Amino acid sequence: MSVGTVPSVENWNAEAFNDYVKQLNEPQWLVDLRQEAFESFEGKDWPTRKEEEWMRTDIRGFSLKKFDPPSFTTPVDPASLPSGLLAEGVDIGGQVISLNGKTAVSTINDELKSKGVIFGDFRTVLAEHGDLVKKYLFQGEFDPNFDKFSALHAAYFSGGAFLYVPRNVQVEQPLHVLNLIGDNGVDLAHTLIVLEEGAQATVLTESASLDDDQPGFHCGAIEVIVGDRANLRFVNLQNWGEKVWHFAQQKGCVGQDANLFWTLGALGSRLSKVNQHVALDKPGAHCEVNGVLFTEGKQHLSYHTQQYHRAHSCTSNFLYKAALQDHSRTVWRGMIKVAPGAQKTDGYQRIDNLLLTEHSRADSIPGLEIEADDVRCTHGATTGKVDEEQIFYAMARGYTRKEAMRMIVTGFFQQVFDRITLVSVREALGHAIARRVREYD
Amino acid sequence: MSDFVRVAALSDIPDPGKEVFEVDDRFVIVIHAGGQVYCLDDVCTHDDGPLGEGDLEGYEIECPRHGAKFDIRTGAPTLMPATQPTQVHEAKIEGDDIFVRIVD
Ligand code: FES
Repeated sequence: MSVGTVPSVENWNAEAFNDYVKQLNEPQWLVDLRQEAFESFEGKDWPTRKEEEWMRTDIRGFSLKKFDPPSFTTPVDPASLPSGLLAEGVDIGGQVISLNGKTAVSTINDELKSKGVIFGDFRTVLAEHGDLVKKYLFQGEFDPNFDKFSALHAAYFSGGAFLYVPRNVQVEQPLHVLNLIGDNGVDLAHTLIVLEEGAQATVLTESASLDDDQPGFHCGAIEVIVGDRANLRFVNLQNWGEKVWHFAQQKGCVGQDANLFWTLGALGSRLSKVNQHVALDKPGAHCEVNGVLFTEGKQHLSYHTQQYHRAHSCTSNFLYKAALQDHSRTVWRGMIKVAPGAQKTDGYQRIDNLLLTEHSRADSIPGLEIEADDVRCTHGATTGKVDEEQIFYAMARGYTRKEAMRMIVTGFFQQVFDRITLVSVREALGHAIARRVREYD
Repeated sequence: MSDFVRVAALSDIPDPGKEVFEVDDRFVIVIHAGGQVYCLDDVCTHDDGPLGEGDLEGYEIECPRHGAKFDIRTGAPTLMPATQPTQVHEAKIEGDDIFVRIVD
């Protein structure tokens, strides 16, 4: 189909878009930005398996028609919502909870406020600090024109959160963001995190469905901007129900001698297609990503990661572990990109896959694109099955097969878990995974 | 196992001929050949190629991406680079209609 003939999706067409934007009641600069993105969305085709990027990810079963853009008319009762896994037992400094893009909770403690920290749901922050939002929105690595989904997101986004930590301010208590989907819902959250020079913070973000059995659609973006000498611990747990379509652009950029520690858990959704990119923009920037993927049923999780070394003397270290059950599938494409002049780059990426059943399949495609000549870039991918002998020995010592399996899976993930310094996150991930390990014959 | 689902009228697919359908959230190729109907996953096991877009030759279908071939009756690979079978499903003609049942 040629570009000119892309049909409008009825409930997402120009008229519906204008109504939607009116509801949001936003400043003109943002309306213009949305309008531009909407035109780009209308002009683009849906991705097909002919494109390299989507070759292994079949989205023919996805139909935007089945979903409506969020509406903000009825308020949500926060008491009716779950509180999430990551904040359990944690003394948090602020929280944003939304359902189908509608904010239910948005808090920040007074001490942080008095230090100039800004944190809250997108709408509130936009109303109170519009100039700051304007300064940073879409200024990082997120590209509204990347594909039809990113254009859709940029045109329609709502919900999500904004965090701004001023220069040299240290935020000790973690901040928590929970995006929920319920009742055939849509979540278009845009989460923007900005740490100014020398700032420090921990952000825990997670997503979940109210009902595992309900279809849902998430088309979101995360933008993380870590200023010079700043430190960010960022946790992102994707725990959608099994019928949720999940499309996301998760982008970070890291400044001089700054650190980004990013933990990613991907457990839910029917199909996920995520682009997770980190750009190391200035000398001495460092990024560590720890990823855990755990799949079951007919889930399909596709992660495209990129560590982009744009300056000299930067380090990046990406480690992913994926365990697959039933008929599930993972696709992982990793790229280490080194720009001309980015000498003394030290880049590492690795994914290990554990196939727990005969019919699961993991495709891992690591890649290097290097345009400097004094670099160290290493990558690796392994795929293996559960060792029957290990199970036999565990069972000979009185464990059931399920217990043995659980131990093996936990052991497999241990390397990543050892790198997660937040106890609550380690525990939440551990429990979420253990709950999903099945009984195999 | 799910139930038989009507996917098309027999006359909709010439013999030999094929078409891709979505059945129970799954994309399958329904093939009409030699007076019989066959059904397989629209996935090449080599690298997920769009098998349904491939050429049909006798009882073989060829993946357009790297040329692997599969036996439409059994799903078995008959030519490299595919080495694993693709899933076959039950297909039958009843009156003037084609029915398929997804096998897992
Ligand atoms: S994908 Fe079919 S032959 Fe390679």
